[in-house]
Amino acid sequence: MLKQVEATILLIGFPNAGKSTFFNILTGGTRKVSNYSGVTVDVGHGDIESNKNEGLQLKLIDLPGVYNLIPTSYDEAVTVQSLLDLNDYHQADKVVVLLDYQRLEASLSLGLAVRDVVGDENLVFVINKDDESEINAEMREEIKQRTGVQTLSTSALQNNGKVLDDFLRTLSYANKIDLKNKLPMTEESVKYFRKTPELDRISLKSDTEISSTINWYHDKSRDVLEKVIAPKNTKAKITEKIDRFVLNPFFGGAIFLSIFYMIFHALYTWAGPVMELVETAIGGVGELLTGIMPEGLLQSLIVDGVIGGVGGVLVFLPQIMFLFFLLSLLEQSGYIARAAVVTDKLMGYFGLNGKAFLPYMSGFACAIPGIMAARTLSNPRERVATIMTIPLITCSARLPVYILLIGTFVPKQTVLGIFDSQALSFFFLYFLGSAAALVIAKVLRLSFFKGESGNFIIDLPLYQRPSLKAAFMQAWRKGKAFLKKAGTIILALSIVIWVLSTFPKANPDLLVGKTEAQVASISLEQSMLGTMGRTVEPVIKPIGMDWKMGVGLLVSFGARELFVSAMGTLYALGDVDEESESLRQRLINEKDPVTGKPVYSLAVAWSLLIFFVFALQCTGTMGVLRKELGSWKVPLIMFTYMGTLGYLGSWIVYTYLS
Amino acid sequence: MNLLELKVGEPRLIKDFSQNQSVYFKLLSLGILPGDEIEIMGKAPFGGPISIKHGSQTFLALRRSEAKQIEVES
Repeated sequence: MLKQVEATILLIGFPNAGKSTFFNILTGGTRKVSNYSGVTVDVGHGDIESNKNEGLQLKLIDLPGVYNLIPTSYDEAVTVQSLLDLNDYHQADKVVVLLDYQRLEASLSLGLAVRDVVGDENLVFVINKDDESEINAEMREEIKQRTGVQTLSTSALQNNGKVLDDFLRTLSYANKIDLKNKLPMTEESVKYFRKTPELDRISLKSDTEISSTINWYHDKSRDVLEKVIAPKNTKAKITEKIDRFVLNPFFGGAIFLSIFYMIFHALYTWAGPVMELVETAIGGVGELLTGIMPEGLLQSLIVDGVIGGVGGVLVFLPQIMFLFFLLSLLEQSGYIARAAVVTDKLMGYFGLNGKAFLPYMSGFACAIPGIMAARTLSNPRERVATIMTIPLITCSARLPVYILLIGTFVPKQTVLGIFDSQALSFFFLYFLGSAAALVIAKVLRLSFFKGESGNFIIDLPLYQRPSLKAAFMQAWRKGKAFLKKAGTIILALSIVIWVLSTFPKANPDLLVGKTEAQVASISLEQSMLGTMGRTVEPVIKPIGMDWKMGVGLLVSFGARELFVSAMGTLYALGDVDEESESLRQRLINEKDPVTGKPVYSLAVAWSLLIFFVFALQCTGTMGVLRKELGSWKVPLIMFTYMGTLGYLGSWIVYTYLS
Repeated sequence: MNLLELKVGEPRLIKDFSQNQSVYFKLLSLGILPGDEIEIMGKAPFGGPISIKHGSQTFLALRRSEAKQIEVES
């Protein structure tokens, strides 16, 4: 039996120095990593994987990146707070300051500032990005001599977590950290803490004093590194060459637009064939089960309820994975920070900071990390205006709805010679969401959140070749999360919808002498869900929707994908045509029982699409908004304004098109 | 002269920063000190931010209004 000794290590360092990458390598964790600053905005805990073979149980705590110990935004305050808390919780034994070899001098000055707070015996320097092992033992010894801190150099890119792992195990973990000195702080920086730091931990200084302190650490750092060689600048040269195009006054904007159009075009057209394969497979399973199961309630539950509902959503797995794969490639490359530069002027016109591009960008995956990433904005008013508009950015949960409706109802043709009408509609919806976000932000910044813009001084990381493996991993993780959602909440809801739309059974007298299709339609209308749908129908009639779509909209307020699964179950139940297996065919075939005309038209499809562009249909987002903003007031305002926009937008589009 | 007055591709040494504390503070944090070499890499159109190289390895971008506050040797 191994002796269980526990020790905790804090990871601190410059933004984009690779803290989360090391955290993931050592703990097997899945913290999001990228090639730009400010990806990590919260605290992450993890046990090191090699713990299972060792007596010493190491825990890692990953923190948001900081440039120094004086916060200028909310995410930086999270890190400084963790240091201030050390005395209260005695939770850490060591601090690892991760230095960035590409900016060694600046990151070492942070290391020196940390040393003066925690003491040199509790501190370790790890130099990351030494990709070609340029730092030799002599240089490491030199740094140790001059700072008193043990130093290791390594490279997360080479994936040699083993070196760091072994190194961490050789350290002694005899005593918990106590703060040796108070942290100097400006009055301004104190505002970014969630709870005001106690005065025995900090000492308030004037701006001038703080500036000279930071300056002093930099000079000190320069002295220490006198004999340490700078890394070869091959990567810097490549970066310079690429940036000459990417940040060029003439090409910059065009490159920006083409990259994003390419992503959505690829997403729409390349993932299409895979999606059709999945669709056929699911249709086949449904058919097979219909054949082998005896007709009755159980068959209907499995085929119409579960396969109709869950299957209808599963079809979109390839697109979801493909989206995250492409976004990962783009983020890893280092382009995102350039995109923030290209868009700063435009964002500024709408009262936002170019830095808000990064949270907006996360919003294309999901609003939740986007809202959290807004912590990196130092100006509180800009931050709230950004948060209030992020959910308008088209997230991956809208993807299934868009693809289903566009693929089914927008006629496929070539526009302007090169564009595909469906891919273009798809891009338009993404554009519409983003444009609406900017316009609303402008309105907010002119009214409730007036004021100056925060500074825009942003790191441009060196370009790196994106790792396909990392992109696959990201796609795989998101795919797994999507499957989990399908297997739990979507499955449960599909069963609930099936039950509600099957019972109570229709009065048999009504069904005498009716055709099979009429029986199915009357049974649905007489069910509990039918009654509910009929109640909301007057509200949605002006925007061209019938009660079935109303039910879909109602459930979509839980999560947007639920719309597709609800439609899947409802139309599978109403469908008696043996030929149609996919939800898309069923939507086309759906006829009004009274007039016999198709229920869906281009106008109805666009009305639905526009509603999904604007409405805030996501309980998860509401929860995070409450947490980040501290009250329900703003989230409820957002829910109302987005819902109103959705309804009005749908009404305009429906009226215009029909 | 200030940084904004420089042409693209002309390296210069930083002389001083203006007294705008938040800008000064941020530049210091990034390790940009008086005496360092700095060079404009590109200027975004319509008065957008400018991108600069600091030393030989690090790159950053800032707004024109912020660049104006960096005094360089003429």
